[in-house]
Amino acid sequence: MELKICHMYPDVLNLYGDGGNIRCLTQRLAWRGIESSVTRLPIGEMALLAGFDLVFIGGGQDFEQQVLLEDLHRGKDKEIRAAVEDGLPFLTICGGYQMLGAYYETHDGQRCDFIGVLDLYTVGSPTRMIGNYKFQCGPESGGSLVVGFENHSGKTWLGSGVQPLGRVLAGFGNNGEDGTEGARYKNVFGTYSHGPLLPKNPALCDYILSTALRRKYGAVELTPLDDAAELAAHDEMCERVQ
Amino acid sequence: MNLRAVLAIILCKLLRRISRLLHRGGTAMPGRFALKLCPNLLELLARDVKTVAITGTNGKTTSARMIEEAFAREGKSYLTNRSGANLLSGITTEFVMNSTLFGKVDKEYAVIECDEAAARTVFGQLRPRVVVVTNLFRDQLDRYGEVTHTLENIREGLKRIPEARLCLNADCSLSSSLALDLPNPVAWFGIDAGAAASRGKPSLSDATHCIRCKTEYEYDYITYGHLGGFRCPRCGYSRHAADYAVTDVLELRGSGSRVVMSIHGEKQLVNVNLPAMYNIYNAVGAVAAVSEIGLGAQAAVEALASFHCGFGRMEQFELGKSGTRMMLVKNPAGCNQVIEFLQDITDRFVLVICLNDRGADGTDISWIWDADFEGLTRMAGRIEQIVVSGDRAGDMRVRIKYAGIADEHIRVERDYEKLVDWLAGQEKPIYIMPTYTAMLDLRQTIVHRCGGTDFWEG
Repeated sequence: MELKICHMYPDVLNLYGDGGNIRCLTQRLAWRGIESSVTRLPIGEMALLAGFDLVFIGGGQDFEQQVLLEDLHRGKDKEIRAAVEDGLPFLTICGGYQMLGAYYETHDGQRCDFIGVLDLYTVGSPTRMIGNYKFQCGPESGGSLVVGFENHSGKTWLGSGVQPLGRVLAGFGNNGEDGTEGARYKNVFGTYSHGPLLPKNPALCDYILSTALRRKYGAVELTPLDDAAELAAHDEMCERVQ
Repeated sequence: MNLRAVLAIILCKLLRRISRLLHRGGTAMPGRFALKLCPNLLELLARDVKTVAITGTNGKTTSARMIEEAFAREGKSYLTNRSGANLLSGITTEFVMNSTLFGKVDKEYAVIECDEAAARTVFGQLRPRVVVVTNLFRDQLDRYGEVTHTLENIREGLKRIPEARLCLNADCSLSSSLALDLPNPVAWFGIDAGAAASRGKPSLSDATHCIRCKTEYEYDYITYGHLGGFRCPRCGYSRHAADYAVTDVLELRGSGSRVVMSIHGEKQLVNVNLPAMYNIYNAVGAVAAVSEIGLGAQAAVEALASFHCGFGRMEQFELGKSGTRMMLVKNPAGCNQVIEFLQDITDRFVLVICLNDRGADGTDISWIWDADFEGLTRMAGRIEQIVVSGDRAGDMRVRIKYAGIADEHIRVERDYEKLVDWLAGQEKPIYIMPTYTAMLDLRQTIVHRCGGTDFWEG
């Protein structure tokens, strides 16, 4: 078996240790004897997403956003929309997650149109939502308890066309108001939990890997791994973040 | 000097005295209260002092100590914020402690390290004659925000002192851009093409796109991170030729480096008594600063050969049978440089990584996934033991595991007393990579056990 992973915009959406998520995905496959390849898709390069089994998009700085939008509107947006509707698994974080929504509106009213494949939108707020946080994934996302770090000023609001990824137990999540965190639509997983999201949350990582493997190979049972280190870090932070 | 200022000075000195009686540092708090009473106190005190200010992401403290060493060797009277209190409050405290009750500062010069976010408020009052901006890297996003935001803070500070001479890192596209719209005279420092092996395009770069027109940079060479011979193919923004240039790195040893510097065109052999590539940048920046303040480059060159930094920056301790070196890490760029330094160690060694996530470390530890800990697997044969410690030892353990080192080879030891006990029995040399607050605590435990000088005695 092999998973072909596409790391979209690693050149600009790489703010918070996003490489850690890619490393976690590939390493947990390798430990199980499953092959994987990672194709970096930077700004300016096109590729057919249909050839991939999993797409990862991370978070970035505002500085590069304009460059990114220009690139998206040169055709990648259509490509992403088609791939999402086709059920291709995506893991998108922070800026990458917002980008799949309809638009971003700055708090002084300027509006940026995004890809619009997820029924959600984001509005900038004057205060940043920063800190360790935790949430419980919904049953359609594996149901695991996830602990992570968020740092965003955008407040994301979900429409009826998407499910939240989980319910916030401590911290802010999508907007700090309605208790939702992230979004699920078809095989898209969107979240504000950046950087080492997957390494410390092996259950979520394996759930995403299973989703991708199942789509490609049908029913797949993942061999359990020794997650003593991962779970120790996970449990310790769950304890601390209240 | 008005009455408010005199009262503020008295208050500050009094609070400092009380702090010391209570065995506290009292480095920032007295100044904070004094500033409440007299908001422009620093301006009044710093007026007649010739100040070199050092700001930027990495290398502030080391650069300041290098510059200070030159002042000391030249027998100049100077003050400096050696304690690391580098915000307005700490800098004010330092000036007050060197002032009479009527605000007369008895030092001719000052060497002041200034936090990059505080530059905005500090520079206008401090009015430094020379400002060194070491570099800009992505650092503590939870505290500073984006790196361009930090750049703005420095720019705003510099706008208030248009007459100050700037020493800018020619190889850093971010901090170099300060020269684009500021009227200040600029002296450039950097490492020239061909001085050291150039790397391929780094996987980690904090500045891939042109700060002016957002086109992707091209590079003639890269020294590390985003530093090197950058050039924007669209708008032409590019590396400025360096007035203080390292033209050849002859030797990079575990104890120090030997380089050739071209100082305004004149070549000179320079020994830097501190290892690693990033300290060569600090060294050439220090030469620029000392020269620009008017002491002459020679004073700096001599200082570099004998200088000791201490306080967790490549600091050595008599701990373990073969000694210990402590190397502060704060962000991916600096961490990669330390890992690179370890690459060149030929003996087997013990490695301790100590990760905290308190305010001064940055509460977000995501950056450990940007740093190249995979580099450790390339030296796995020479690592006797890896120990992880600190508040986030658990996360560090996971990071090392995913870098490719089997979990059973990673030892977790959170208790510093026990850790130091264990280290004391080690035969091999020990290298410790702590984050800032971990360094403070662990250093204290080590100093308590095996003596060692306090950092201000260097």
